[in-house]
Amino acid sequence: MNRGEPTWERNDYSKVPYRLYHDPEIYRLEQERVFRGPAWTVLGLEAEIPRPGDYRIAFAGDLPIVFNRGNDGRINAFVNRCAHRGAEIVREPYGNVKDFTCIYHSWCYSPGGDLIGVPFMRGVKGKGGMPADFRMQDNGLRKLRVESFNGLIFGTFRDDTEPLEQYLGALLVENVGEILGRPIRLLGYQRQRIHANWKMYLENVRDAYHASLLHEFNRTFGLSRLTQTSGGYMDDRHRHAMLFQYKGSDSEEAARKTYTDGQVQRGDYMTLKDESLVAAIRENRTGVSTRIISIFPNAVVHQIANCLGLRRVRTRGPGELEIEFVLFGYQDDDAAMTAHRIYQANMVGPAGLISMEDGEALERVQRATSPDPSGAGIIEMGGKGPLLNLDTRVNEIPVRGFWSYYSELMGLEPDGAQR
Amino acid sequence: MRVDPNVKQRVESLIVDSAMYIDRDELDAWIDCFEPDARYIVLPRENRLLDLPVGIIHCENRARLEDRIVCLRHANKYNPHFDRHIVSLPRILAVAGGVASVETNFMVVQTDKTGESRLFCAGVYEDRIRLDGDDAKFVERIAVIDTFTVPTLMATPV
Repeated sequence: MNRGEPTWERNDYSKVPYRLYHDPEIYRLEQERVFRGPAWTVLGLEAEIPRPGDYRIAFAGDLPIVFNRGNDGRINAFVNRCAHRGAEIVREPYGNVKDFTCIYHSWCYSPGGDLIGVPFMRGVKGKGGMPADFRMQDNGLRKLRVESFNGLIFGTFRDDTEPLEQYLGALLVENVGEILGRPIRLLGYQRQRIHANWKMYLENVRDAYHASLLHEFNRTFGLSRLTQTSGGYMDDRHRHAMLFQYKGSDSEEAARKTYTDGQVQRGDYMTLKDESLVAAIRENRTGVSTRIISIFPNAVVHQIANCLGLRRVRTRGPGELEIEFVLFGYQDDDAAMTAHRIYQANMVGPAGLISMEDGEALERVQRATSPDPSGAGIIEMGGKGPLLNLDTRVNEIPVRGFWSYYSELMGLEPDGAQR
Repeated sequence: MRVDPNVKQRVESLIVDSAMYIDRDELDAWIDCFEPDARYIVLPRENRLLDLPVGIIHCENRARLEDRIVCLRHANKYNPHFDRHIVSLPRILAVAGGVASVETNFMVVQTDKTGESRLFCAGVYEDRIRLDGDDAKFVERIAVIDTFTVPTLMATPV
């Protein structure tokens, strides 16, 4: 990246060089400095591994991580790579086991990642075997430090990563804490693979401006309109963000006039035969109807009306990402509420009525910026300069917040950088 | 099992016609293949294996399916493409109370506007089909998709 020119044209990240999406060297550095750096990566939910022995595969960037619940109930995480010859140990995406045995030479590991078995370590009939100085305790798997916040599991490779709640900050502790404040029940998975750089998606979920323009469904059914009480807030370090919305805080007429005057309304609003698709049954203190909460670097916790979910992002090289939506409700939901949440899951995922467009938009950016990645995108909605929380969604400042913390970790900060 | 040739013929026609309606972008005709109380669900195979209910598309009745098509026509933006469904011969598992239970393998090949084709989805239709006179309609169609990591997006139903 350092080829005699500074990465950033401006110190407030309001112009993003397209090169950052496409340069393979940048991608390699991200894996090292972001996903294996001093940040907490979201691995999953405790509800995904409820019983001792349960495990599931997650990803720190593109590195496969096994997170599991040990026989003692503790949560562990390790890189899915045998200490011996580097084979993948776990071959199923989830399961329940007592220990983890590599198929190649049957080396066996505890749920905590310690090496507990090497077949024929002392040879056979006095011949062969490992040298006398080979010690199993020195040859465990590469472990992550794990912490859990209200059932959301995080992992980090570094000892110096700050304490988890400090990393999350008050905004996320309050809002993620509230959404995950009751025992949850898993409702299912949805997966989407997008041929675009992973950062475009992490920008997208911080981009308050696009929600009612790209996603016409939002505008039409009043789930998210720029005329509503809404905003984009960040934590004090501006690395995470929450876009929020209060459905019903504007009038249909005012909204229609605003969007018609803004030349984005294409005809009359349509109506639904079954309005429950967009009905928000109040279940939180403030009555907020949409919260898209981005957790740096790789996750989102969302509430869209009564559709609740976690999104994990996996990087697959500079030009591809995968989103895994984990939808959930609460254990004390009645049958009608569960059915309502299942129905509202139509709004998210690869066929989501307010998310399918993201796949198309991001791939268009990828395709158009990759052949000649000189030049830069503009992020000036909501203003330039300081990174501020605004009570409006005509606002892209949280996207600049993402780049600010990203650049700090990557060692790419310009002189006098906004933080 | 031995199946009345007339039942077989009506089941096959419904399955082939409904696939062709999607490929021809005749989604109103496709919706007419469903009874008013019919369910249509696109279910990731991993959710089936885990006994989890969430679908990629999940409509408990035809009105909800109609809402999805209205949104597709008027609100959603998606990758311009052509679909091509390839369906196997249907395997009729049972006929009881005028309803046939049927399994049919399918693939959807998607072609973009530059003429490049890719396998978009492979799976199995698990159908319950009501047979009434010469008529046959879906009362339930669960498309269990093996390709549950969906490339780009799924706008048009499968």
